[in-house]
Amino acid sequence: MNKSMSNLSSAKSFSATDSTNKSPTASTSGQALVKVSNLHKSYSPTIQVLKGLDLTMAAGERLVVIGPSGGGKSTLLRVMMGLEQIDSGSITFAGQPYITANDGKAKTKINLAVRQQIGMVFQHYTLFPHLTILQNLTLAPRKVRGESKASAEARGMALLTRFGLAAKAGAYPNQLSGGQKQRVAIARALMLDPKLMLFDEVTSALDPELVAEVEQVIMSLAEQGMPMMIVTHDMWFAKNIASRVVFCAGGVVVEEGPPDQIFNAPKHERTREFLDRVFHI
Amino acid sequence: MTYDFAVVLGYWEALLQGLEVTVELTLLCAALGSALGFVTSLARVSPVRFLRWISTLYVEFFRGTPVLIQLFWFFFCLPIILGSDISNFIAATVTLTLYTGAITSETFRASLKSIRPEEIDACIALGLPRLTQITNIVLPQALLRAIPTLLSNFVSLFKESALVSAVGMADLMFVGQNISSNIAKPVEVLTVVAVIYFVVAFPLTRAVTVIERKMLAKLAI
Ligand SMILES: Nc1ncnc2c1ncn2[C@@H]1O[C@H](COP(=O)(O)OP(=O)(O)OP(=O)(O)O)[C@@H](O)[C@H]1O
Ligand SMILES: [Mg+2]
Repeated sequence: MNKSMSNLSSAKSFSATDSTNKSPTASTSGQALVKVSNLHKSYSPTIQVLKGLDLTMAAGERLVVIGPSGGGKSTLLRVMMGLEQIDSGSITFAGQPYITANDGKAKTKINLAVRQQIGMVFQHYTLFPHLTILQNLTLAPRKVRGESKASAEARGMALLTRFGLAAKAGAYPNQLSGGQKQRVAIARALMLDPKLMLFDEVTSALDPELVAEVEQVIMSLAEQGMPMMIVTHDMWFAKNIASRVVFCAGGVVVEEGPPDQIFNAPKHERTREFLDRVFHI
Repeated sequence: MTYDFAVVLGYWEALLQGLEVTVELTLLCAALGSALGFVTSLARVSPVRFLRWISTLYVEFFRGTPVLIQLFWFFFCLPIILGSDISNFIAATVTLTLYTGAITSETFRASLKSIRPEEIDACIALGLPRLTQITNIVLPQALLRAIPTLLSNFVSLFKESALVSAVGMADLMFVGQNISSNIAKPVEVLTVVAVIYFVVAFPLTRAVTVIERKMLAKLAI
């Protein structure tokens, strides 16, 4: 794993984003890929989850979001994916606002064409159990883009081969280990050529010995320059993959910065407390 | 007192014909009834309030009254209201179809509910159109999951169908009753009839267990 990380920082494909890696915040470099502005979200009048969250992510960044349970990390990703209604605020992708609050019947306006450029993998297994692995991969390209069966299957097989899962193409999800399921879920999202990938604790349902194979796949995507936003409780993984770390608690971003700074010299008391608790288990 | 089961063998052709009627009626009403049950289960979760209301009323009414009363109502009462006769075959088919529709709609409703919300999240994340979500993800799984319970619904139907003898349909029960009173050997004849019902129903009941285990394993995630 460490070897792959040294590859990561010297990888050619990252030359374009090296400046991002060095700069402490995204706002100082280039155009923002994602801009979350003053996002408010509640599940009910008494359950306010996001309380004016602001976040900017530059192209080529790998943002890792950490924070205490219930802090709103999953909610943020679900909102970005168009899975939740919001109360106010907006989210912009590549300069285009695609999620905006709307005072009408439909509370949240979602620009689907823009949102379609984002892929997501969840904590829970979400493969469709009645479809084979290859069918899981080809369903969306065929139904969403009208891609031909042959073309989708060829791309699907290529992707499965790359992930070492070609032998499983005709198997059903229940015949796979948890780690294989999550790798297939990643492949399924990649079939739609996303410009940004969201990962919400994709290894936390896995047996410990299966975590590495999934993290390795995410690492290899990172090496190829895929922008990603990762929620994880695995601090080792966070340290290794992040180009920037965001500490999120109480529905806002408390502190953000390069992994070195957040993990070794956090500025805020709350961040320090959280990291102390996490590293002293 | 000695029992003479051999004498029942002499009536095997009549009994077989009775069984044929029972099986045909069961198959017909199972097919019509599960189609009705499927549509009803969709109506019960429909956004249209009237559809929900009428489908709930139908299901609760037919689950909450004896099948025998339903049968008598269609055979004796409806002709009076309509002013024209209804054959016992029509009355039996309508009754058992409505009865099966009511019980299978509950089966389909449970299987529709068993689709995990996480899979719907994944559908949305993949950008699948609503229609594709229904035709490719929800319906196939709901139907597969419904199969074991549907089979036991059909076994119930097979047994309940004996009631149609009460309106003179020549099913297995009716034939058995006739033979038993003609030759005055109720113990022998009715025992054989019961065994025939059991021999058909039992393998189906066992199959339900096996299919259920296979289905659960296949759709487990
Ligand atoms: N569908 C929902 N209905 C009501 N409350 C919800 C719902 N989903 C989440 N919440 C609440 O919103 C808060 C934030 O949840 P969220 O899942 O975003 O936190 P998180 O930071 O991802 O936590 P964790 O680290 O445990 O995954 C929690 O208090 C949670 O109970
Ligand atoms: Mg979460």
